[in-house]
Amino acid sequence: MSTNDILFLAEFDAGQATRSALELAAGAAALAAQSGGEAVALAYGPGAADGAAGLGAHGAARCVVLGDERRPAVVHAPAATAVAREGALALLAPATPNGRDLAAALVGSLGLPAFGPVRAVRLVDGTLETEQATLQGAVITTSRPNEGAPSPSVVLVLANTFTPIEGGTGSAAVSTAPTDDGESGLARATIAESQPAEATVVNLEEATVIVAGGRGVGSQEGFGVLQELADVLGGAVGASRAAADAGWVPYQLQIGQTGKVVKPSLYIAVGISGAIQHRVGMQSAEHVIAINRDPDAPIGEFADLFVVGDLFGVVPALTDELRRRRGE
Amino acid sequence: MKIVVCIKQVPATGADKRYTDDLRLDRASAEAIINPLDEYAIEQALRLADDGVADVITYLTMGPESASEALRRALAMGGDDAVLVSDPGLAGSDEWVTARVLAAALDRLAPDVALMGMASDDARGSLVPGAVAAMRDVPLLSYGAELRVAGNEARVRRLSSDGFDWIAAPLPVVASLTDQVGEPRYASLKGIMAAKRKPLETWTLADLGLSAAELHGGALTRVTGARPPEAKPPAERVENVTPTEAAARIADWMAARKLI
Ligand SMILES: Cc1cc2nc3c(=O)[nH]c(=O)nc-3n(C[C@H](O)[C@H](O)[C@H](O)COP(=O)(O)OP(=O)(O)OC[C@H]3O[C@@H](n4cnc5c(N)ncnc54)[C@H](O)[C@@H]3O)c2cc1C
Ligand SMILES: Nc1ncnc2c1ncn2[C@@H]1O[C@H](COP(=O)(O)O)[C@@H](O)[C@H]1O
Repeated sequence: MSTNDILFLAEFDAGQATRSALELAAGAAALAAQSGGEAVALAYGPGAADGAAGLGAHGAARCVVLGDERRPAVVHAPAATAVAREGALALLAPATPNGRDLAAALVGSLGLPAFGPVRAVRLVDGTLETEQATLQGAVITTSRPNEGAPSPSVVLVLANTFTPIEGGTGSAAVSTAPTDDGESGLARATIAESQPAEATVVNLEEATVIVAGGRGVGSQEGFGVLQELADVLGGAVGASRAAADAGWVPYQLQIGQTGKVVKPSLYIAVGISGAIQHRVGMQSAEHVIAINRDPDAPIGEFADLFVVGDLFGVVPALTDELRRRRGE
Repeated sequence: MKIVVCIKQVPATGADKRYTDDLRLDRASAEAIINPLDEYAIEQALRLADDGVADVITYLTMGPESASEALRRALAMGGDDAVLVSDPGLAGSDEWVTARVLAAALDRLAPDVALMGMASDDARGSLVPGAVAAMRDVPLLSYGAELRVAGNEARVRRLSSDGFDWIAAPLPVVASLTDQVGEPRYASLKGIMAAKRKPLETWTLADLGLSAAELHGGALTRVTGARPPEAKPPAERVENVTPTEAAARIADWMAARKLI
């Protein structure tokens, strides 16, 4: 317990630490090495109690288990108690809907400075500095907590900002958050009904290659053509809002302002015009290829490779070419 | 049933946005609009009024004097009255202060449902709704793709990792909505005329019983730098070739970057 420690939210699902937990563990470990503190996980969700110690191999020195619930409405109370007790320098939270809700509840109940969603976070002369794309990517700003602001600073971190530490050893010291039996207003929200999808939906935030389709793809069958390309590349299929609105793919695959924010190493935009609301969800991709039949489509302004052509010709040809090169 | 819709004035989508030398948003340089996602929340409030569920719809914003324009635009879509919280002590405010001030104003307005957009266009933190709910100690129904209010309960349909959940809570609640709830209506000419006569009050921090000191001078954080994004070199183009040729060129390009 020290004011140099770096806390991070470690969400578990089905007995496993999520990708975001492993990314934040690496980020917290790097910051803690600079601040002279420890990386401390706040672990919650199904499997957190059993899996917590394992976060030690990914950078965590200690782990406080909050419980086996994932819902922010429930996790909030033990999280607030643990955060108040730890008195750390920063708290890293994933910029996912659950991560944001939990972070927001902590900001509200503990009165903490909030940052994000950030694409970088560092220590400059012992002070936290974050970097974020503001105004829909028009400006990159850096921010810091004001002098005398309470700590920890709550930092929402975009997926793929940090790379998980693999092949590490060691286990984290595990403790359990003190139970708080005060009745909280947030906890009055409950799940009245759950409707799982017929098919499992991939988590786009974890994909390193994404083949995204837009209105140009034209139909659900059209997305089958994209899926074949994604399969050869070991990637996942994503979509614009127009494609999700049309019902060709589930909304979980929507990328953009009101969908997922992704940062894969390769993003292939197929039949997507490149509206600003789509762009904010994928502008941090390392490499962007656009396939569009309109030579003036705005996506050409932020693609690295712009292929002007009909997607129904180019995409299957590319799938074949990649298979051929692989000797299939 | 009383509904308050929290709306934020933001620079128009895609407008030329700049920061001034003192690292504030240069409000003079861009056309100001209602945060587009907040219009979806307004639409839901108006539908609840159309359906006879809501009796009073109030708009609430915190911002400079000029943000009253956004309130007039909302009133032109429908609704009853509006409150602007404006104070010199709020210039440069951050998410915590915004939430603190909105929570104090909502304490005073005491709505059954406080509606918000899922995110503001300019910062996209999506933190204000949850922070306000925690401060007011009321349930948060977030990322609602559909909203239902009946009796003493509100519920939203929220996307889950593979399907969706209906999240329910007793009133009062804070709910934040996505753009899946349904397209916002346009203001009619009649609506625009009527809006001019609807009550619009301005509250200061003192009116809310808040002091600059307890708000840490207006923010817990500050912007320390602003610069344009890294310039991207223009895209390499592949044009006027057969699909087979295009495919070969893409594969070469990917191979050169070790992507395959
Ligand atoms: C509040 C708000 C939030 C939003 N959030 C999101 C979001 O999160 N994500 C998002 O994506 N959008 C979002 N949008 C919508 C966004 O503004 C655009 O409307 C949307 O991204 C357009 O989708 P699209 O590019 O698929 O379709 P279009 O703009 O219609 O583009 C289709 C493209 O396909 C090309 N095409 C057509 N046929 C072919 C073919 N055979 N071969 C090759 N190319 C072809 C066309 O040339 C065109 O460029 C939001 C809008 C609002 C107001
Ligand atoms: N200054 C403000 N005045 C009124 N409502 C606001 C303000 N800032 C944020 N909100 C509300 O909070 C939502 C989420 O904003 P944010 O947390 O900034 O992404 C917005 O869609 C608005 O409904």
